Amino acid sequence: MRKLPFDTVLIANRGEIAVRIIKTLRELELRSAIVYHDLDAGAPAVSMADMAIAVSGRTPVAAYLDTAQIIAAAREASVGAIHPGYGFLAENAEFARAVVESGIAFVGPTPESIQLMGDKIRARNFVQQNGFPVMHSANEEDDPASFILRARSIGAPLLVKASAGGGGKGMRIVRDLDTLEDAIAEARSEAQRYFGDGRLYIERYIEKLRHIEVQVLGDSFGNVVHLFERECSVQRRFQKVIEEAPASTISPRFRQGICEAAVGIARAANYRNAGTVEFIVDGGEFYFLEMNTRLQVEHPVTEMITGIDIVAEQLYVAGGHELRFSQSDIVSKGHAIEARMYAEAPERGFAPTTGKVLVLEYPDGPGLRIDSGISQGQQITTAFDPLLAKVIVHSRTRNEAALKVERAMRELVLLGCETNASFLARVLADEQFLSGQVHTGYLDENPQLTAADSASDLSTFLAAAALLTRPVCDSADAVPELHASLGGWRNA
Amino acid sequence: MNHVFELEGVDYQLWLSRCQQGYRLHLGNEILVPLDFSHQGDGGGLLSIAGANESVRFAIDGDTIHLHIRGRTRVLRYRDPLLAHSLVKKDAGLLVARAPMPGVVVKTSVLPGDQISAGSGLMVIESMKLESVIRAPQDGVVDRIHFSEGESFEHGAILVTIKEEGH
Repeated sequence: MRKLPFDTVLIANRGEIAVRIIKTLRELELRSAIVYHDLDAGAPAVSMADMAIAVSGRTPVAAYLDTAQIIAAAREASVGAIHPGYGFLAENAEFARAVVESGIAFVGPTPESIQLMGDKIRARNFVQQNGFPVMHSANEEDDPASFILRARSIGAPLLVKASAGGGGKGMRIVRDLDTLEDAIAEARSEAQRYFGDGRLYIERYIEKLRHIEVQVLGDSFGNVVHLFERECSVQRRFQKVIEEAPASTISPRFRQGICEAAVGIARAANYRNAGTVEFIVDGGEFYFLEMNTRLQVEHPVTEMITGIDIVAEQLYVAGGHELRFSQSDIVSKGHAIEARMYAEAPERGFAPTTGKVLVLEYPDGPGLRIDSGISQGQQITTAFDPLLAKVIVHSRTRNEAALKVERAMRELVLLGCETNASFLARVLADEQFLSGQVHTGYLDENPQLTAADSASDLSTFLAAAALLTRPVCDSADAVPELHASLGGWRNA
Repeated sequence: MNHVFELEGVDYQLWLSRCQQGYRLHLGNEILVPLDFSHQGDGGGLLSIAGANESVRFAIDGDTIHLHIRGRTRVLRYRDPLLAHSLVKKDAGLLVARAPMPGVVVKTSVLPGDQISAGSGLMVIESMKLESVIRAPQDGVVDRIHFSEGESFEHGAILVTIKEEGH
């Protein structure tokens, strides 16, 4: 193990990713510090960390976005580095700059890279100028007066996107050009509200595209490698649900092309640390979508097939080390699938759910990894993201992996808060998913996967509920068996 | 007597009676027999239905029964017979718009006393990354707005009360 210039790392995040980062810190014999909002006081990450410092805010989310409080906490815990996880401040160039200026290492890229890639339009132009493929689009800033006209000339269907976008915000699909102006107004107001930036661009919307991304790693010495691709095409409302590595049904030549393009883009941007280059795949062609300048939710599938701990590599790079391997050392083995367990009800339009975790039992087995951020007794609220845990499986083949995740989703017991677990199990057992014929419209096209099969097992559940409810049993026990056997007449 | 369990918004009437080997479940025209439940540790047990055994994990929270059987989780609510009855009595002339999910009020679009028509937007709510509009179920006058901007509410909470016209 190589020596790092810091012995304590602050995690400016919460939930499963905070737990996951702490695990690697322990592995590297580093101390962990974490900031937390009061609502998370009982969360596993807070009890696992060596130090926990409370932060507050106007809203719970605001607490995790408060640069001043986080840097004060980092000073209090005398940390040498800050890991931002994903979401919150992970892609905030101002935050990264403030961390560096405080003399603390930022476990991520330079503020300049975050800034470049954070602006979707600038990133797209940068990638195009460097000779990599991008989608045909109309950019408002080029000439605001002709924006709508230029968008119309691309032809329906269109996708309106916010330049500062992310997480599905500020996006509208336009199937009928008559609704284009309304969609622009809606996307703009949403973008303004969430990102404080109403700039838009419009590109052709492809109904059956695939979303394939490439994990890259760069160091401060100009080395950049890729850790192969991930397929993230199973999405609902632009949010990933199931991810896998490698992508199925792509040729070795396509894989090499897309991975090399990702490395080329990262190299052109002088990219340092872990990042993901996302592509849209339509037929046999790929186009740059965006680059995420941080660790991603779905990074475990890459870790499973390569055996590389991405968080450890992030820490080594942040500590000034050269990458510990070259491209030819990185080998992909087997197949990994991740399913995201969310606090949501798929059958009610994926509406978020809340509740107290009364029972929590995760399955166990070879090749099974659970990245969880919750524990028994914890209250699930709508204050944060609905991601509760990720179930990840590594197997020899894709089908075997799918079967194992499906079984894990059914064996997993979480009582007290509705989740999408049985929905995930249905998707993982679906013929179309198993044949690898997935695209971003797959879930919308298969509403039967989302709808709960209400009728099945109904009497089993009602029988169990009846037998577990005292007044129901009491009224049965109060009637002598002879009378009861006479039947339903007492039912009046 | 009949007992009522609510599951996914639907009420099911059922009753149990004793039989030699345990219980009999009367569910509509269906009778399941014999059935029994043997507890195994905390929050777990074996349900036997007509000779078949099902492993059950459960958690009971007041009137709410959380069950995990055959890889599926369901939440059932036991309706206390007295309470269920009192819910039927409804204040004539008042309509309520309930929260379809827990969330936060982003914006209120109306004021008490405002004349509104069916389908008009009353409130914009947000639950994590999903924004939706609460619309008037029919024509009327806004009686009360129960939450102000920035306030959070639970699933089923009354967001807006509307007076029917003519009342």
